[in-house]
Amino acid sequence: TEFDVTDGVHDVIEDTELPRRLKDEVLATAEERGVTKSQANEIATAVEAQYLDTRVDPLDPVGTVSAQSIGEPGTQMTMNTFHYAGVAEMDVTQGLPRLIELVDARKTPDTPVMEVYLEDEYAEERERAHEVVWKIEATKILALGDISTNVADMVVRIDLNEDTLQERWPRVDSTTQIAGEVAETIEGNLGVTVTQDGTILEFGPSEPSYRELLQLVEQLRDIVFKGIEEVSRVVIRREETERGEEFVLYTEGSAFKKALKIEGVDATRTSCNNIHEVHKTLGIEAAREAIINETMTTLEEQGLDDVNIRHLMLVADIMTNDGTIESIGRHGISGNKNSVLARAAFEVTVNHLLDAAIHGESDDLDGVIENVIVGKPVRLGTGDVDLRMGATQTSD
Amino acid sequence: MVDVSQHELVPEHTVLDEETLDGVLADYDIDRTELPKIKYKDPALPDNAEIGDVVEIVRDSRTTDEAVVYRLVIE
Repeated sequence: TEFDVTDGVHDVIEDTELPRRLKDEVLATAEERGVTKSQANEIATAVEAQYLDTRVDPLDPVGTVSAQSIGEPGTQMTMNTFHYAGVAEMDVTQGLPRLIELVDARKTPDTPVMEVYLEDEYAEERERAHEVVWKIEATKILALGDISTNVADMVVRIDLNEDTLQERWPRVDSTTQIAGEVAETIEGNLGVTVTQDGTILEFGPSEPSYRELLQLVEQLRDIVFKGIEEVSRVVIRREETERGEEFVLYTEGSAFKKALKIEGVDATRTSCNNIHEVHKTLGIEAAREAIINETMTTLEEQGLDDVNIRHLMLVADIMTNDGTIESIGRHGISGNKNSVLARAAFEVTVNHLLDAAIHGESDDLDGVIENVIVGKPVRLGTGDVDLRMGATQTSD
Repeated sequence: MVDVSQHELVPEHTVLDEETLDGVLADYDIDRTELPKIKYKDPALPDNAEIGDVVEIVRDSRTTDEAVVYRLVIE
């Protein structure tokens, strides 16, 4: 096919039991070194033997191996890191706290962020990319102008900054028109009548009341005029990606579903570090992918990239097995084990034993922990194989 | 609306016909309830999938070229 090797060499390699990726790797090497058919045969046989030898054996305790393989490097991770690393001037939880947060399937991460990719026409120019920034970053009144309260006349006065208005609403020409929109938003949210004079807005409570006036100012500060409420900040960076140089946005705060719907956002590549949002928006399979990506990056950032990806894939498979994201731990996987003894061995021993006694539960002793507790051979590996003599006898 | 299936994190989901399914279950020697599950309201589920159906998911695997897995549609 795409490899420049003789048919003989090609067939020899194709006939092995290797998976596609390994076959391609062997083919590429054969092409590069220009091997003969007999050499190819030797290589293919050796690679195949090595491959078959390193496959997981039947009855191998893969879960235990994964637990150890993730747990050991975990001891080398920094206990508490809160730094500005990875993304420019942004605070992202890393290391052990992040790993714990992932396997615990915490509802919201400590520092939710989104990585927003842009569609071609927005990704090339900074100006266009900024248009998308203002559609995502929440714009509140304090960013738009100065608020002053006049207690004598019972009015709140807002002096809108023309430059800021023009910057955040690049598609509207006149600042008066933008100020009008702002006024409408305030009316809609606070239920007051706003009087507009150019870019100066004024309003007050219907009845003169000092308390109500202050309350209006409080509420005014919370109104989102543009963008997504959950996103407090957006950082724009020029990056080298597989599509060449392009602008990528990093957000502080996340609202994955809303972000994907925004015009200019590339809904095929944009991602979010909250696995629950990914689950809700893209489904369980995407959540599984996200768990693998997030755990692997967390380990890689700590220089622990030699953890085999298969261990993380197993963790993600287990966490997404029942169609929802389940945490690893007392409230998730371990807490739902069938065996009383296994659950009791994990956490809050007495409660589990007491509940089991009250409900008259029995234990089938199928798992590892139960058998260790009662001192029976564990039903794993050679422990799960029974040997029996053949029933037929041969006479001489 | 955003087309979820176009996202790079979402692998291809297709509903499996009964005949192929029987073959798969025989291969693994399991009952369909022993398969991993997928919720009926999952955004990536094809429109023609019903509760009790099995979807075939073809993942772009990290360890081999493609990995085919199955999920039973529930609830």
